[in-house]
Amino acid sequence: MSAELLSAALLVVLGALANVALVLLSAPFFQGVQRRLTARVQSRRGPPLLQPYFDLLKLLGKEDLESGEAPAVQRVAAYLALASILATACLVPLGFPAPLGSAGDVLLLLYLLLLSGVCTLLAGAAAGSTYSWVGVSREMMSMMVLEPILAVALCVGAVHARSFRLEAVLDGSPWLSGAPVSGGLMLVVMLLAFQAFAGRVPFDVAEAETEIMDGPLSEYSGQKLALFRLAQMVKLVVYAALFVGLFVPWGSGWPFPLGFLFFWAKAFALVVLVALVAATHARYRVDQAIRRYSVLLAFSLGAVVLAALGR
Amino acid sequence: MLKALCRRMMSRSCWVYHANSGGCNGCDIEVLNVLTPYYDAERFGVKLVASPRHADAMLCQGPALRSTALALRRAYEAMPAPKLVIAVGSCAGGGGAWFDSYAVLGGVEKVLPVDFFVPGCPPRPEAILHGVAVALGILGKSVSPRPPLVQPTFPFPRYHPSGEPPPG
Amino acid sequence: MSLSSKLKEAWIGLSAGTVTLPYPLAPHPPRPGFRGRPVFDAARCIGCGGCASNCPAREILIHDPCQELRVIRYLGRRCTSCGRCVEVCPEKAITMSESFELATDRLSDLEQRLTLFMGSCQRCGRCFAAPTPLDALKLTGYRVDDLEAGRWVCASRSAPPGEPAPDVEIEL
Repeated sequence: MSAELLSAALLVVLGALANVALVLLSAPFFQGVQRRLTARVQSRRGPPLLQPYFDLLKLLGKEDLESGEAPAVQRVAAYLALASILATACLVPLGFPAPLGSAGDVLLLLYLLLLSGVCTLLAGAAAGSTYSWVGVSREMMSMMVLEPILAVALCVGAVHARSFRLEAVLDGSPWLSGAPVSGGLMLVVMLLAFQAFAGRVPFDVAEAETEIMDGPLSEYSGQKLALFRLAQMVKLVVYAALFVGLFVPWGSGWPFPLGFLFFWAKAFALVVLVALVAATHARYRVDQAIRRYSVLLAFSLGAVVLAALGR
Repeated sequence: MLKALCRRMMSRSCWVYHANSGGCNGCDIEVLNVLTPYYDAERFGVKLVASPRHADAMLCQGPALRSTALALRRAYEAMPAPKLVIAVGSCAGGGGAWFDSYAVLGGVEKVLPVDFFVPGCPPRPEAILHGVAVALGILGKSVSPRPPLVQPTFPFPRYHPSGEPPPG
Repeated sequence: MSLSSKLKEAWIGLSAGTVTLPYPLAPHPPRPGFRGRPVFDAARCIGCGGCASNCPAREILIHDPCQELRVIRYLGRRCTSCGRCVEVCPEKAITMSESFELATDRLSDLEQRLTLFMGSCQRCGRCFAAPTPLDALKLTGYRVDDLEAGRWVCASRSAPPGEPAPDVEIEL
């Protein structure tokens, strides 16, 4: 092995570790900001900003009751949930070029995101209680309509960039045509669907706390619950990074501290928007939610047709 | 090492499962009041969770009835260690005014090992918040055992008809 | 349910500030007239047992160890702060305090115990002979509650003194 190959491999590994560490450390902070903002909108003080860190650290030391019908599958689901979303984090640019950006293309990204959704389904199915099954069926229905929206958004970018490579697509590709009609339409669709991707009120019907006792996660405790909660937090950060990379990429070319900070400021603004929408809405029923996603899917298909026509 | 960390973090982040095993809902309403903006419990990290498997502390209201005793016990056993049981209200503390009813087994301590009692009927939201703060170690207890009260002029001197001086 | 109305709602919520009371870091006394714990005053109590008869939760227990002594024990665990004992007390020996911060891990912290001297004749040392059998019931103490076990016991004349009557034994 030549020296430059070795150093390149080392750089990739270090970059991947940096991405993973960045995402793991910032995700609970973003959720802390969300909880505090929700509390302020409700006119109360709210938890300290570092509260999710305390929650996760406490969960790590709790007894792990292996309840549920298939504990081995539950274990796999918990590890896979965090692993898949962290792998996605290595593919997404977080203010600097993604370390594994050339390791895969848009289809790999889609599959990894789908895998993290499937892990919730696995978790609920392995738990085997009634509430978990209800949560699984709702999550399946949502995923069947939501994942195509994400796929179409990436496709619009791919059609404009004429390639499936991540560096090309995640660099503001929907805006590449002359009259960015499809880009604008896709931006609106993704903004409206972002709340659903983040899995927050009004679209958190799959994990409705008051209705189905936390749905698929109701049989988890201790460390595995910590893994799932962390995976959910990281998912929000990764989706925000994807959104910013696709639709709001301006300023990412600036020199190191500025471009990096500006990227994270944009992602932070998106997270704050998610929190504000969540604090002022009530939860949708599953049929209302699916109807809304179907309308968005129809518009996004219109956007991809426009993109194919060159607009 | 993780267990020690968990114990240290427990005072900052306690997830609460709310179990009403047959009460009149008065204490329920007061517990839900604690989560409202006036008495915000979330600033101490206390969150209401839906499943006992996620919870650290169980807030029990209502006496242990014959019909719900088994369900209460199962909810307690579904909680992962380390766990706390806080009995809220006079019903959970000993059966309340219905302790001798045919349907009531007694207080919640007949079914679960209770760690803290918050008496009252219903206890004010401040009292419940104080109770949770005491349970988490944020505050110290405000009650202490009282010494037995004896009448100040005890016993009365006695005059014997034979004229002997009273004893003592 | 337009976007602008939701944003306005969020703005109203944010600009209202926080209404959270600083309790428990600052005291928050209840309104006057709030019924907290009853406080017993042994200097005024005459040992009539009215509070014990009227308590709906049977939290006040009475035991006569001997002719001259009456022990009144208030267990705090089931008290509903109804105030009936306060209303009934002829000597105003019970006052309703406003204390509500009563959380504890030991129920014995909530207890109050009074030891009272029941007046016997200052000349002969015996208790007064009651004019009627009904008054005799009151004087010799018809309440023989089990103080140590915290059990309310109603002893009828048919049972030996100190032992619970089998027909009215109530398990607490």
